[in-house]
Formats: sequence, structure tokens, C-alpha cells
Amino acid sequence: MNYTSRNQKDKNNMFRTIGINDINELFDVIPKYLRAKELNIAGGKTEQELISYFSNIASKNRILVSFRGAGIYDHYIPSLVGEIIGRSEFWTAYTPYQAEASQGTLQTIFEYQSLICALTGLDTSNASLYDGATAAAEAALLSLRVSGKSTILISQALHPEYIQTIKTYLENSRAKIVILNVSSNGTIEKSSVDAAVNDDIAAVIIQSPNYFGVVEDMQTLSSAAKRKNSLFVAVINPLSLGAFQAPGEYNADIAVGEGQVLGSAMSFGGATFGFMTVKKALEWKMPGRIVGQTVDKEGKRGFVLTLQSREQHIRREKATSNICTNASLNALAGCVFLSGWGDYGFKNLAEINISKARYTFNKIKSLEGFNAKFKNATFFNEFVIETQKDIKKLNKVLLKNNVLGPLDLSNMNESLKNCLLFCVTEQRTKSEIDSLVEILSKI
Amino acid sequence: MEKLLNELSSSGVPSYNVKSDVEIDVQIPRNLKRNSALGLPVAAENDLLRHFTNLSRKNYALSTVFYPLGSCTMKYNPLINERIAKNEAFNFIHPYQPPESIQGILEIMYGLERDLCELSGMDCFSLQQAAGAQGEFAGLLIIAKYFKSIRQTRTKIIVPDSAHGTNPASAAFAGFEIVPLKSESNGSISPEKLKRILTPGVAAIMLTIPNTLGTFEKNIPEISKLAHENGSLLYYDGANLNAVMGIVRPGDMGFDVMHINLHKTFSTPHGGGGPGSGPIGVKAFLEPFLPVPRIEKKKSKFVLNYKKSESIGKLKAFFGNFPVILKAYIYIKALGAKGLKNVSEHAVLNANYMLARFKDKINVPAGGRCMHEFVLSPKSLFKNDVRTLDVAKRLLDYGYYAPTVYFPLIVEEAVMIEPTETESKETLDAFVDILTKIILEETGLEPQKLKEAPVNTSVRRLNEVEAARKPILRWK
Repeated sequence: MNYTSRNQKDKNNMFRTIGINDINELFDVIPKYLRAKELNIAGGKTEQELISYFSNIASKNRILVSFRGAGIYDHYIPSLVGEIIGRSEFWTAYTPYQAEASQGTLQTIFEYQSLICALTGLDTSNASLYDGATAAAEAALLSLRVSGKSTILISQALHPEYIQTIKTYLENSRAKIVILNVSSNGTIEKSSVDAAVNDDIAAVIIQSPNYFGVVEDMQTLSSAAKRKNSLFVAVINPLSLGAFQAPGEYNADIAVGEGQVLGSAMSFGGATFGFMTVKKALEWKMPGRIVGQTVDKEGKRGFVLTLQSREQHIRREKATSNICTNASLNALAGCVFLSGWGDYGFKNLAEINISKARYTFNKIKSLEGFNAKFKNATFFNEFVIETQKDIKKLNKVLLKNNVLGPLDLSNMNESLKNCLLFCVTEQRTKSEIDSLVEILSKI
Repeated sequence: MEKLLNELSSSGVPSYNVKSDVEIDVQIPRNLKRNSALGLPVAAENDLLRHFTNLSRKNYALSTVFYPLGSCTMKYNPLINERIAKNEAFNFIHPYQPPESIQGILEIMYGLERDLCELSGMDCFSLQQAAGAQGEFAGLLIIAKYFKSIRQTRTKIIVPDSAHGTNPASAAFAGFEIVPLKSESNGSISPEKLKRILTPGVAAIMLTIPNTLGTFEKNIPEISKLAHENGSLLYYDGANLNAVMGIVRPGDMGFDVMHINLHKTFSTPHGGGGPGSGPIGVKAFLEPFLPVPRIEKKKSKFVLNYKKSESIGKLKAFFGNFPVILKAYIYIKALGAKGLKNVSEHAVLNANYMLARFKDKINVPAGGRCMHEFVLSPKSLFKNDVRTLDVAKRLLDYGYYAPTVYFPLIVEEAVMIEPTETESKETLDAFVDILTKIILEETGLEPQKLKEAPVNTSVRRLNEVEAARKPILRWK
């Protein structure tokens, strides 16, 4: 393919205007000995050839019936989402720096921010971050920045890749990370927060539902964090908020999470978006872009990027974050996703997740050799089962049946040996669940 | 004026609906249950479709207008990329699927890493970073970890004042102290000035080549020598890679670490601000520090290797923005080595052609030749209190997106233009004519047209000061 539309006549005219005879003269400034040799990069395919080339590669991936979550979930994506994010006026636009020529992007971001605030019950949302893990890391940095304190308490039941990302982000700061251990109930106990909080704790970061699917008692944990004036950071699955307490209800200061469940495909774990909402008092310390409402010179409503003096293109090394490009198109998917359910529909969606997971949980734990790991836990759409079966074999058999089985937690730590993390969303039909149970029963 | 979602008339029937084929069975303890209303809009699909479609039409986009946004490489985004990326066998894939069920994805990632190595002259690439700034951050963490591993204390990063804002922000984010370096008026670096600040504590120098004024850094061999003699490393900001593909390679110029913006040079769309992808490339001695996992080829199978004890760890969850990675790879397979070189040649040709038409009329601080972009400084031509901002807004009235303005910071009233290779001569000519007319004629004869601009957009000039003074950041 060749995407430069240039005929020789035009080229000759352009050469004349510039005052050159040959295109190579434009590169004369580069020393000859530095010039690249001919590269060895295969290509030059036509559209037809590209389609067959990539179809062939795609056929080496397998689309499976997924009972696996752990941060990325198979959820229904309404047709409208694809239609809107597929509009080239959205996907080929740049960051909306020229506000008057970018009102489409700006208004949808404003709507996105409003929807995320409604969902989380907090005051201010930014325009998106890269993903859930980086949003959690930015929340840690924000907490350190506003508090002037130097330690972060993190739940052991926070997604392991989020913990790793936070560690990477804090690597060269002076901040310390202390891990709160999970109890035998699969939750973080108030007593462990009580024992760990002190005057130097900038924030307590708790995920709910946590990595093991268990919904935490966020109200109690938040109060425990506040006892020493630590900020409370909730890492949440936004879909669960149709049924479970919102961060605003338990006095969280910051809520972050992974937005993939709101209208983005799994696509191997990216691109997705991270969201962040905060209490009003923190908004000037927030990372990332924020859109605000204003008026034009005739008094008409319009939208602009605002509070920009927090950002790198203005503040350079003193910016609240280095983020520039974020995940705008995925956040737009989130906006379109959240606009079409209404309260009842969104709650219903959450309840179907709970119900299907519970149905599956009850069936599996009644099988011989499979037990509930956390007996009295409340969960959303994921749960942990302990088994005496050969886990490798189990997942192999499932894979043979085109099923992506549960995640093996055995390698996480000793107490999770022989444990499986299942996920069941609204996408799984009763017959798919029943056949999963059937296969498990025969192992 | 388009209503806000919460103002759309509610028909009582929401657009989306799912049903359950198992019995609804929800028992949530009171202390865990949501009590507050969600406050989500209720609107029929027809109304939502119109709402979002109408909003989309208020955008100037690359698919509707010329978008000469300097430093952003707003090139045509080939439709074939989007078409292939919609394949379900790329989208309906869970990140924790076993390797044998994701060989296609790993093949693409591995292939792109290899091609980026060849193109850049680096030895290894990692595709995990979600954007250019995250690439910078990762690259700087690698530099920090490297010096730690050889037990050297180096806490400073030299950043020219012409650099993108992300450079100093990323360096600060990675825990470094920033030492600013004053550029020459054409944006180049003086080796003499550099020598004066190149102390033993300098870990690295971050450079953008071509620089943000669009000129090639002809002193790079000397800069590279000075840096390495000092034990410092060289970081290449790949934001302007579109100028040099197949022409000169960062690795050959002496750079040790670099990032690439796939959403610039490799034609993947900007999505109104993302998602992007910021792969980082390093020389072999820095390979142990790259993020985990690494994609490796064992016999004919691809595997993920997490066992890298010196790695900086993870930059985000999972493996990177795969659809962006895929689209970049499709682009490379569409063009190949010859096509990529052709891209850079024509990007530079287009920019030089525009520059040649401007340079006798409007001041060009960096001189009469450029690489893929150039910066005008029309300040001396301005009359009647007209400013560059007014020129930018006036361009919107003529149906163009505005160039980057007021950047780089070292040029007063800067207008930074990057045409890219995918624009025709007719488009370039028409834009040059209009911008020349605005600056040379309208500022003198009809300054009110600039001050009043824009008038053809969906809203008139917006009050940004008020927006920041009394922030309204959500609907009430």
C-alpha cells in the first residue's frame, strides 16, 4: 500500500518551489555515515493480502467461553457503543485542544465525568487514565502529594498486577508500601487496618469486590482509615455499583477502577480505560485532563479543557502527572454504555451477574472435591473454590471443550494452594454453566 | 445546542436490556448494599443515537478536515487497520488465556518488536506502555535501575527547553532532578553549553530528533560522544520519528533508550485523546530491566517470560494496548521497508514545500529547511493586538483544524505545522494561501474577523478563564 497521494508532476513542482532536484537533498543535513542501510522489514501488501495474512494469524487465537475474570471481563456490549466509537469524527480527532472545533469530544467527556460521578457518588472525575492499575497508582501518588505523608497501606487482595504497578510507580519515591493481609474470610479485617494505621499513612487502598471476588465491608474499613486521617482509596468494579455500596456512601476520598466492563472488549487486556473520581477538595491535585462547562461569547453553553495548570504541557516537571494521551475513546464507550440502562436496568445487570455467579457457585461447591474457600463471603461475579482435583488437568479438559476455566491461584501463596477463581457474568447462559459443572463433575 | 444526556426527554424505556435465564437470587447484607440512587439517564436508543451522532458532527476530525497539528503526526488512519482490528479472534480474547490459545496475538507482538528494532537500530522492545509519556517514564526507570545495578549515583536528567512537556514531567515522575538546557534559536543543542552542565551526576540526556522546531540535530555525533564519555545515557523521544524512518536510526546515532508513539508514526488513530501506545526500545545491555513479561520464541511457539529478576516490573496491568499494537503492525505490513522510507521522504517533502511557500513572508526561526514539521513566528507581522490564538481560531472558520500554537515555548507566538505525508499538494497549497491571507492581510484590514473568530463552529470563542475560576465539572 501507499498512503501518500503524490504524482510525479506535483512532485517536480514541489521540488522546484523548494529549490531541489531530488528528494534526497532534503536529508543532506544528516551525516552520510549515519544514514541507514536498507531495512529488512517485510511488507508492501495490498488490502486483500493484508486481510488474508491477518485472518491466518487470527486463526491461531481461540475464542473461548470464559469463566475467567481477574480484572478483565466478558460482558455484553450494546450495538450503540460500537456505532458511536466507530464514528470517524470521534476516533480520528485529536485531544480537544481547540475547544470550539472539538465540542463533540468535549461534551461527551463532560457527560462521561458526570456519569462516573453519579455511579461512584463522588464529586469530581477526570477524563480517564490508561487503565485500572495505573489509576490505582495515580491514586497512591495523589494521596502522597496531598497528605505530605510517606506510607501507603495496600490490601493484599488488590489485583496483583495493580500492586506491581503501584510498586513500579513508587519505585524512586521515598514512599513506603505496607501490605494488609487477607483474613481467612477472604477479606481485610478492621482489626488489621486498626493495627496498621498511624499518622504517617497517606492512604489505605482497598479493592472491592477484591481480587478473590469478595465484597469488603468498605464502610468499616473507611472509618478505620479515617481514625488517623488517612485518605481512603476504593478500587472498584463499576458494574458492581448497581448493587453494592458506592464509594460516596462510605466516605471514600478517591475511587478508581478499570473501565473495561463499561463497553470495551476484552482485547487481551487493553486498550481499556481507568477512571478516577475524588472529593471536591482534591480536584486541583488530580492527574489527567478534566473538562469543564463554560459559555461562549454569546452566552451559549460550551465545554473546554480546564484546570490545565495541573498538567505537564503547562507545568512541566511540576505537573501532577506526566500523563498526556489517555484512553479517550474507551471512556467514550463507557459514556455510551452508561447512558442506556437507566437505574433499573443497570441494577438489573448487576443482579444478573450476582445471580449467575451464585447459581454456579452453589452447583460447583456441591460437587465432590470442590469446596467454597470463603464460607460466608458476599460476592459479585467471582468466587474462589478449593479443590482436591488436578487443576492443570481440569483446565486442559475445559480448554478442549472450548471453555476458559477458572484462574489457578495456587502460585499466589501457600494459603491459596489448590484454589480456583471463577467468574460468571451475564454473558454465560444457563446451559453453558450447566455444561461447565458437568465437565467438572467428571474430573 | 445539543442537550446533555440528563436533559434528554425520558421515554421511560431505556435502550439496553438483558435477561437472565437463571433465577434472580440476590442476598446482599444491608451494610454492603447500595442505598443511594444511581441517577443514570433513561433514553431510548433512537434518541441516544441522534445525541451522540449530532455531537460527533461538532468535531473537526482528520476524517473531515486537514489537521496540521505540529508534533502530533495527524496522518491518515488507514481503514484496513480498523477493519482487521474488529476481528473477534483479536477482541474476544482474555489476557489470562493459556499461551497455546493466543499464539496469533503473541506472534503479532513479537513481530512488531522485531520490526521496531530493525527500524530504530535498538536491540529489544517492550510494547506494554500505554502512551508516549508512559514510555518515557518506563525508559527513565530503566535508566535509574541500570545505574543502581552498577552502583552509581546519578540523579539528574538534562532536558532541553524545547522539549515536550512530558519529558521533564516523566523525569520528575521517575524521581530525577531536571537540569534544563537552553537550546539555540533553531532548537539545536550547543555541545559547548552541554559540556558545562554535563556533571558526573547526570544519568541521561533526553533529546527529540528532529527537535520540536523541525530541524535535525546535526551535532548528535558529538553530543553522543560527550554523553557517553561522561558515563551518561542518551534517551530518544520518538515523537518525531515520522521524519526519519529508513533514513537514520536512533540506535545508530548513539541512543541507548527510546520510545515510539504508535499513534503518531504508525497511523493508529488518536481517538480524541487516546488510547495510544508507547513501546520502548533499548540497547542490549539494558534488556534485563525491561518490563515483564517478555515475549519469547521457543522453537516455533511463543511464550511469556515473567522470570526477569532485574526488571522494572509492570507499567500497567496485562500486556499493552493490543488493538493499537495490531493496527501499527498492519500498517508496517502494508508498507514494508520501502513504504516506510517513502513515508518519511514525503512527510519531509510536504513540510519543506509548505515552508518554502511561507518563508519569504513569515519569520521562520529555524531557517529555510526543515524535516517533517516547522515553526512559524508571525509576531512581527501582527497588528491591532492580534495574537496567534486569534489566527488559530480564524483558521477554524476556514474549515481547518489549527496548528499547534504557543509551542515550542522558545518561539514567541509559535505556529507549529506538521502536514504529514498523506496530504495532497492541493490541500497544502490551499492551506498556505489561507494562512498567509489571515496573517498578512486580515490582521491589518479586518482584525475584528480574527478577534471575533470562530463564527462557523458550533460555539463561539469559549471563556476558558471563567471555566477554571468557577469549575463546573459535571451536570447537576
